[in-house]
Amino acid sequence: MENNKNGNESYTAEDIKVLKGLDAVRKRPAMYIGSTGIEGLHHLAYEVVDNSVDESLAGFCKNVDVIIHLDGSCTVIDDGRGIPTDIHTEEGRSAAEVVLTELHAGGKFESKAYRISGGLHGVGVSVVNALSEWLDVEIKQNGTVYQQHYERGNPTGPLTVVGKTKGRGTKITFKPDSEVFEILEFSWDILSQRLRELAFLNRGLKIALSDERTEKNQVFHYSGGIISFVEHLNKNKTPIHPKPVYISGEKEDIIVEIALQYNDGYAENLYTFANNINTREGGTHLIGFKSALTRTVNSYATSSGLLKDSKEGLSGDDIREGLTAVINVKLMNPQFEGQTKMKLGNSEIKGIVESIVNDTLGTYLEENPSVARKIVEKALQAARAREAARKAKELTRRKGALEDTGLPGKLADCSEKDAALSELFIVEGDSAGGSAKQGRDRRTQAILPLRGKILNVEKARFDKMLGSEEIRILITALGTSIGPEDFDISKIRYHKVILMTDADVDGAHIRTLLLTFFYRQMPQVIEKGYLYIAQPPLFKVKKGKTEKYIQNETEMLGMIFELASDDIEVPVKGQSVKGKALIPYLKRLYRFERLTEWFERRRKDPDLLQVILSTGMNKETLKDRRQFEEILSRISEKDQSMHIGEIQLDEEHQTYGVEIRRKNYKLNLDTNFLGSPEFRELENLFTIIRDLGDPPYKVQTKDGIKEIGKSKELLDFVLATAKKGLNIQRYKGLGEMNPQQLWETTMDTEKRTLLQVTVQDSVEADSIFTILMGDQVEPRKEFITTHALEARNIDI
Amino acid sequence: MQIICPICKKKTTWEENPYKPFCSERCKLIDLGKWVSDEYKIEGDVENTENKEQGAE
Repeated sequence: MENNKNGNESYTAEDIKVLKGLDAVRKRPAMYIGSTGIEGLHHLAYEVVDNSVDESLAGFCKNVDVIIHLDGSCTVIDDGRGIPTDIHTEEGRSAAEVVLTELHAGGKFESKAYRISGGLHGVGVSVVNALSEWLDVEIKQNGTVYQQHYERGNPTGPLTVVGKTKGRGTKITFKPDSEVFEILEFSWDILSQRLRELAFLNRGLKIALSDERTEKNQVFHYSGGIISFVEHLNKNKTPIHPKPVYISGEKEDIIVEIALQYNDGYAENLYTFANNINTREGGTHLIGFKSALTRTVNSYATSSGLLKDSKEGLSGDDIREGLTAVINVKLMNPQFEGQTKMKLGNSEIKGIVESIVNDTLGTYLEENPSVARKIVEKALQAARAREAARKAKELTRRKGALEDTGLPGKLADCSEKDAALSELFIVEGDSAGGSAKQGRDRRTQAILPLRGKILNVEKARFDKMLGSEEIRILITALGTSIGPEDFDISKIRYHKVILMTDADVDGAHIRTLLLTFFYRQMPQVIEKGYLYIAQPPLFKVKKGKTEKYIQNETEMLGMIFELASDDIEVPVKGQSVKGKALIPYLKRLYRFERLTEWFERRRKDPDLLQVILSTGMNKETLKDRRQFEEILSRISEKDQSMHIGEIQLDEEHQTYGVEIRRKNYKLNLDTNFLGSPEFRELENLFTIIRDLGDPPYKVQTKDGIKEIGKSKELLDFVLATAKKGLNIQRYKGLGEMNPQQLWETTMDTEKRTLLQVTVQDSVEADSIFTILMGDQVEPRKEFITTHALEARNIDI
Repeated sequence: MQIICPICKKKTTWEENPYKPFCSERCKLIDLGKWVSDEYKIEGDVENTENKEQGAE
């Protein structure tokens, strides 16, 4: 604005029009400055500063100094044209005196001297004078310095020449009248905030504030204008695009400038100004901006195909989420409306702002697609959240199939009313639910059968989910309600919520879905320790007439080895071992063979692995070519069918490596392989093979000695021996148990084991869920393969 | 405890977070919306069926 002189260079007594009646000001100060409290007091300073800013708007002033003095007075100095000092023709006094003593006197009422003016509703500096104990004015104009002193609005003498000067401008010092104001102390914070705002709004204008009480100084000077303002407002936030968008234009003598920037928050931060006045209640400029923003963003989003998923367009509220914007209009005759006169009323402004924003912002979005995309995505997210909130409310309000008690019909509740003593079994499937209902202790145990919905997506693919109806029933049964605002853990109806699902993959998936739901939407249930997982047995083992339930595979294995060790003897370290002493060796052999299988699934030759392990080679061996060659020749001696490739030097590790193939197997014998955790684990377990000595293994059984060639066959033989005469039934579904069995094995508080879900468990479930959800295809495949072993009982 | 917001993947904390495990009320609501509008499903496929067949030795 500084060089844009929008007024007339000649500013004389001719320009001052008089409207009398200053006495009224002292009688009813609040009518003019709002109040006699802290706001009114600061109003005085603003009024004087606004005059200087008007000089700047007119293009004649670059610096304003504001000083708070020790005695509570305040000085405002500018380098503008200076208040006119010539004699006013109508009044016969200096124009300056007229300005300072007559209400509504000022250049602003004729648009010649000031085309555009702020000023607080034009009450003028005379009001400041009237409400000051004293006021000093000093004007530098045309090489002359003038001074005049006032007391409570009355001059103590005429405007007098006191000296010569090369400078120009006006200096006013005033002391607010203690007879008028309840509060007399200027506040640094309030003043600095307003002065900073003015400096932002008037690009290039330098406003210095100093406080003699505290010797604090601050200069407000922003070459970026309202762009700097927006950056300042977003200072402690994270903007989603680096630079604020700047829009400006002029139409029908109305100047519009807007700066805006989105941050990642949700608040809408809009500041609107008309002629430097903060229009806190908005008005026609704000309405015009909002409607143009909504229109422009929607039309951009539609034309760029970003609204495909959204049925309706984006709402204004969605588009303004996270928006920080400053709207500044300058116009000739602002009309202020509303309770506090802080709402711009000029109806023509709406259309003008609208058309400037439509034109400029549309072009900006086209030219900056990456920023535009971020803005649209942000609005889409806001729209989704609004939609989600609506659906969630609808879900909990809908009554659906509820009993008179308000509880879902599917729930078989317990008679106990004390939540601390009540348990809720969430059972997968209706048939298992039926068994559980019959088998339970109905005093304290409630049963809620839930069915995971299965969707046949493609021919061979069945997706699983918890339908919204199941979720609604679950929430109703728990009694806690749902959502960030409504969820209330204290209303929970059971202090034990037990997930009871089948021990197969489907069951694991339903359990993961439920765990994830609790973790995300009811984490307090987990935190309080209310969530459990039932542990139904995996196996039923029959030997003769005795039946035994086996909880998991480890237990099953323990039992099998116990049985086997009674019947066989195996030579270990040259001695025949049997009974309990044999069990740890068998367990070790089992782990070694399982790990070997793991390698074999990765096309690693199990025989070659044993040969490598038997040579005792490690990462160090690979550093010495001669030693390495020697070991390789031993390998090819042991097994002629091995195809050993060329020795390669690994530059990065300064080690040697080689590719070895046999049939379909392929192994890169190098640092990576020998250093892998899996190989090192295999190395540890290999002691069992050493302990067993060289094959053939001579196993003593009831039927005599049996010779076995390979360690894997030895393990198979042991397992087969143990299983002889055993009837092992694997439970895959809860439905395979009758109510009595289900009670005995899983629900009976005296005998059952429950797994309490911890926060850590649920974090893990969430990440498994994220993988299984299939957002990203690759990691999911990875999960399925590497967790194949564990997948059978993802027991978290 | 540091956690990752399941919706926007921003880092957040478990403790003193009313919207845990999310970073904000916004993300928690979006998630709830997905549950109640049947958007969350676990993809089943052939591999899963194979896993199901694996028994204990």
